Amino acid sequence: MSTFKVCVVGGHCSNRVMIVAEQLTEFFEKRGIACKVFTHLAAGEYGFAPRSNLILQLLPAFTEEEAGCPVINIKPLIGDPMHPATIEKILKQIQADYKM
Amino acid sequence: MSRRIYLDYCATTPIHSSVRNAMLSVLDADFGNPSSLHWAGRYVREMMDQSRLDVANGIGCRPEEIVFTSGATEADNLALFGTLRLFPRNEAHLITSAIEHHAILHAAQHLEQDGYAVTYLPVDGRGLVNPEDVRKAIRPQTKLISVMSVNNEVGSIQPVAEIGRLAREHDIRFHTDAVQSVGLFDVHVDELSVDMLSLSAHKIYGPKGIGALYIRSGIELAPMVFGGPQEHSLRAGTENVPGIVGLGAAMNIVREHRAEERVRLMGLRQYLVNGLQALGPGVIVNGAEETSAPHVVSVSFTGMDAEMMQIRLNNDGIAVSLGSACNSKSIEPSHVLTAMHLPQEWIESTLRISMGMPTIKDELDTILDAVSRIMPRVKIQ
Repeated sequence: MSTFKVCVVGGHCSNRVMIVAEQLTEFFEKRGIACKVFTHLAAGEYGFAPRSNLILQLLPAFTEEEAGCPVINIKPLIGDPMHPATIEKILKQIQADYKM
Repeated sequence: MSRRIYLDYCATTPIHSSVRNAMLSVLDADFGNPSSLHWAGRYVREMMDQSRLDVANGIGCRPEEIVFTSGATEADNLALFGTLRLFPRNEAHLITSAIEHHAILHAAQHLEQDGYAVTYLPVDGRGLVNPEDVRKAIRPQTKLISVMSVNNEVGSIQPVAEIGRLAREHDIRFHTDAVQSVGLFDVHVDELSVDMLSLSAHKIYGPKGIGALYIRSGIELAPMVFGGPQEHSLRAGTENVPGIVGLGAAMNIVREHRAEERVRLMGLRQYLVNGLQALGPGVIVNGAEETSAPHVVSVSFTGMDAEMMQIRLNNDGIAVSLGSACNSKSIEPSHVLTAMHLPQEWIESTLRISMGMPTIKDELDTILDAVSRIMPRVKIQ
């Protein structure tokens, strides 16, 4: 079984996207969700979506059609790393796509 | 990326060919130290004197009232620190506004940390300082008032002449950061009643790394840099001669063209504003038409992500500026838009489009087309 890849997408600020990605990595580990979290800056990639199983984006960078995978907007996590509605959306999507 | 369109002239401007040519002659051959007493130094000194005269002519002062600096940031710092540090900490008060450039605000905050008193004046929804608020803020210890001429984020034209008169009535020094105004307005230090004025070359088609502070004759300042008699002993160190020559050439260009450019850009601004407003009710142009500089448009795309809009425009080759900066944990709201009491969601949805001498209507059509195409893609969900 190949690794489940989660891409956290940000805009210009690499610090911000890294912090959110680290928080999510920690969260997934605690939940026993084995996945690879990596980051992508929309500002530097001329609009190409990264290859992944799930895109969590801090700004509306990609549509699901462009990404070829589910896309969830996670901007609320910037102010609240455990924003309940956003976390619920992420978990629901992972449960649907990936057997934990 | 096919075509590149630059609409960020408030950030910086390209070097004008005349400026480049003037600087090249200095870089190629005229290498002398202006402090030297021989032919090589004297020739360069004469070039520098001519530039000082050119800059002075651009703002209606005498050449000996110009001090060359590394840019407007240093000029602003010299005006503030140079004035306040003449006085004991508990005997000096500074009045400035909440929408100044960080060159002023950070210097003022530093002075506060040093024990000086500072008042930050509010602005109204148009981004304007009310002179009456200045009057009310004046204390017996007030030594300096510093209010910018034109705001760099929203383009609001401040009532500088009125504040200058007020300062003069109370025998208080008045400084203005004129970085965004000297390129387009007929700045005259006596008409504005300013005692000190900062300007920068790279905002007026000159090189980066050079600026100037006008200091009215008779005004004393505490020096910032020690080590030589250059620039009236206020700023020691061998002068940046190519930069100074470039600044003088740039000032000549804007002085010659600013009246016609002001009218031309006013027309372009109106065209752009009309085009933006036609994109929908959620597109809001900040500030007021009658008090806005002709080269700046601050626009909020409510319900849209400005950062993604800026990225997509950049991918299309169009350079504009974000209204707010981001940091690792939050979106740092613009201090200017915050002071104007704009709602947070507007502030985070704001772009700054700024125009200059090379801007043409065709470029505005291109950005309007691009924005209308991008808008549905950057809605905040």
